[in-house]
Amino acid sequence: MTARRCVLALVVLTTLASAAGGAAETVLYGTGGDFKGFDPVDANDVESADQVGRVYEGLLEYSYLDRPYHVIPRLAAAMPEVAADGLTYTFKLKPGVRFPDDKCFPGGKGREVTADDFVYSWKRVLNPRLQSAGDWLFVNHVLGAEDWVKKWADAKAAVDYSDPIPGFQALDKYTLQIKLHRPYPQLLWVLTMQYTFVLPREAVDFYGAEFRNHPVGTGPFRLKAWRRNYRIEFERNPTFSGQTYPDTGDANDRAAGLLADAGKPLPLVDRIVEYDIREYYTTWQMFLGGQLFSAGINKDYFEKVIDPQLELTDTLKQRGIRLLKAPLLDIYYLGFNMLDPVVGKNKKLRQAFATAVNVPRYVEVITNNRHTPATSPIPPGIAGHVAKPYPYQFNLARAKQLLAEAGYPGGKDDQGRQLRLTMIMPGAGSTDVRQAADFYTEQLRAIGVDLVVQQLAGSEYLRREHEGETQIFWAVWVIDYPDAQNLLQLFYGPNKCPGVNATNYQNPAFDKLYDQIVSMPDSPERTALYEKMADIVVDDCVWALMTYPLSYGLFQPWFQNYKQHAFPYANWKYYKVLPH
Amino acid sequence: MVAYIIRRLVSVIPITLGVLLITFFLFRVIGGNPAYRIAGKNATPARIAQISKERGYDKPLFLNLSNPFDAQFPRLCGQLVRLDFGESITTKQRVSTMLREGLLPSLCVTTPLFVIETVLAIVLALLAAYYRNAWIDRSLVVLAVMAMSISSLVYIMVAQFWLASEWRLFPVWGFEGPQYLVLPVLIGVVAGVGGSVRFYRTVMLDEMNQDYVRTARAKGVSGRTVLFRHVLRNAMIPILTNVIVAIPFLYTGALLLENFFGIPGLGRLTVNALFNGDEDVIFATTFIGSVIFVVANLATDIAYTWADPRIRLK
Repeated sequence: MTARRCVLALVVLTTLASAAGGAAETVLYGTGGDFKGFDPVDANDVESADQVGRVYEGLLEYSYLDRPYHVIPRLAAAMPEVAADGLTYTFKLKPGVRFPDDKCFPGGKGREVTADDFVYSWKRVLNPRLQSAGDWLFVNHVLGAEDWVKKWADAKAAVDYSDPIPGFQALDKYTLQIKLHRPYPQLLWVLTMQYTFVLPREAVDFYGAEFRNHPVGTGPFRLKAWRRNYRIEFERNPTFSGQTYPDTGDANDRAAGLLADAGKPLPLVDRIVEYDIREYYTTWQMFLGGQLFSAGINKDYFEKVIDPQLELTDTLKQRGIRLLKAPLLDIYYLGFNMLDPVVGKNKKLRQAFATAVNVPRYVEVITNNRHTPATSPIPPGIAGHVAKPYPYQFNLARAKQLLAEAGYPGGKDDQGRQLRLTMIMPGAGSTDVRQAADFYTEQLRAIGVDLVVQQLAGSEYLRREHEGETQIFWAVWVIDYPDAQNLLQLFYGPNKCPGVNATNYQNPAFDKLYDQIVSMPDSPERTALYEKMADIVVDDCVWALMTYPLSYGLFQPWFQNYKQHAFPYANWKYYKVLPH
Repeated sequence: MVAYIIRRLVSVIPITLGVLLITFFLFRVIGGNPAYRIAGKNATPARIAQISKERGYDKPLFLNLSNPFDAQFPRLCGQLVRLDFGESITTKQRVSTMLREGLLPSLCVTTPLFVIETVLAIVLALLAAYYRNAWIDRSLVVLAVMAMSISSLVYIMVAQFWLASEWRLFPVWGFEGPQYLVLPVLIGVVAGVGGSVRFYRTVMLDEMNQDYVRTARAKGVSGRTVLFRHVLRNAMIPILTNVIVAIPFLYTGALLLENFFGIPGLGRLTVNALFNGDEDVIFATTFIGSVIFVVANLATDIAYTWADPRIRLK
């Protein structure tokens, strides 16, 4: 779930409306993107994860209201027992959790979820034929996972799920054990991700290739009707039980009425109807007409909706519409390829580049103030973020001075040749990207650097990034879980291209710290190391930090219990609509 | 005539190949290997390689010297000829299923739109031609020019705001029944009829200046009879061209209308695929669209022989 999520967050419209009163509440929602059906192995984009999160569940989930984020058991009876060496996690499952009735089961009767179902579901994530983008959760972590993947990638026969993976063991009907190569404290975050959600083998065998269109999950809702490209409807899953609205939250949550439903059985609505609306104009009309519970704010509408103080306009306030804004855990940046002979070997040049970009101006002009300037590679809200000034804040005179120190006074090299740099951005043909590209070009021109920005189609952009065929690249990292390790892996030497370290940064001091933190559980010591690692990459100016995005959402007064969440895919069960 | 038809049908091959080649170049060559998108941001090189292998993205783009047909473009052509449209990258659905599901909603909008617009345009053009230079003619020309000068986006936004959102005369969005089609069809007709009226009027006035019309009038045939019995028939060739060439667009759908009004048709599917770089859907719609377009052109030629017996296809 990468850049797409952020881009869509600016466009996507969410909405709810209720049917008249009582328990038969209906959520009407508008979305703006395609999704890949309901197979958890394909939940690698926002829309797919959202759909999967309604009908399937995993062992763990995020506590809805608590911040900082933490996980709580969902289908697990309790948090796992973790061996002293951190290499074995043992989960006990809640007994009595049932898959709903479906014709894939003998006699059409659903059955109880067992530990074997989890082992089977996780093997599907690793099945090379299914091309899941979630294999990284387990490969190189779970004992035997990579051998199993290699074996079946090379095999001509169909994958045999009875072929064991030593790291996934169903010890008995309700006991599940995960064995690791080395400590993997992020495992608990990973097990909240939709890829890992449990499904019955009978459904996969029965529906075959159509399984993705016939979800059979334990989640709070089940699929009732689906017309692709238009409308999808879910109804309450009658076999979902055992969960109530949380009673923990802070004073702000209480003041916002978010704890008013504490203890009530979930889900709080009976029906979700989601429309596939792609035009913001249409969404806006429907939102104002009360047909949708929520709407994002398109940049072209921003000034009509938000006043200069960045609050909702009086007209909308009078209609009872609420504006909820909150920081997201993502970061936008410009990455330098450290293997590039020009920018990679010249720290002063990278610093000059970073200092030449007027980020506050970018925030104002390009993002409608919906972002804030970034100061650390670790966003606020994640352990390791330290609020301190970014050392390369915009300063034209200093940028010119750094450029001269880098060997390019006035943007010319020692032979008088103009310095020309190339940056890639994803989004061929996109006006928004063109505007941002023009902005960067102008900023660099001010110090005498000729910046050429190439707008590339998504696949080609990713290919160049993976293969290291870049000099400078625009990027966004949408965090997979709220642990700074997820960001710091982007600077780890062994992860260099074709791995996730697209900058090819390699610093023995940083790598040593990473080797240390990657196995450490959450602790003040680990947070201190995160801070130190962030300082190292900022000092080396591996990225020119750009912005942290804020989410801006408009909500109808009759829509309740919404709290912005960085990982909101399982949150539908908490939402409520009032009769209106 | 049969030989002509066969020759024209054979011409489908190079035309379609040319269209596909351009599309393939834009989306696969410039667009890059889709395996990177499929594999996601945390992808391992092994997973990318494996997806490339499974989907044939690891083959040469155009020519494989050891086996000329074992390259990406020839394989794509082979698949499309077999009507195997593959699987969408963004929805993981079979493209053939997506096309099948989108056809009816598209036809629900485009067919009434096409029929009403064509009939209305011919009627108005006849009226204008019959009353040429009178106030009716002048008014119709002014209205037609106005109608065709305004972007269809303006019609959509104004109508959706005033007629649907404010006055609630129509649903704002949806595809739940015939009432949901009224506004999009109405907008489509208003946006398209102006150009057709002007074109047909010109064609008819051109015919009305022919010698045979003067002869008929000299013989005392009434103006109305001349118009309907002679002028209209002789004006049929350009009208047929205009009408039959528009038929492929019934299939491709009304791109803007479907997107703004939530009609789950092929136009919406195509627009979404373009935005998402969903190349299998784009290859399929391009392929089908180009074949239908060539066939519709052939149908136009055949229709000429019906409209004008002097025409022979050789």
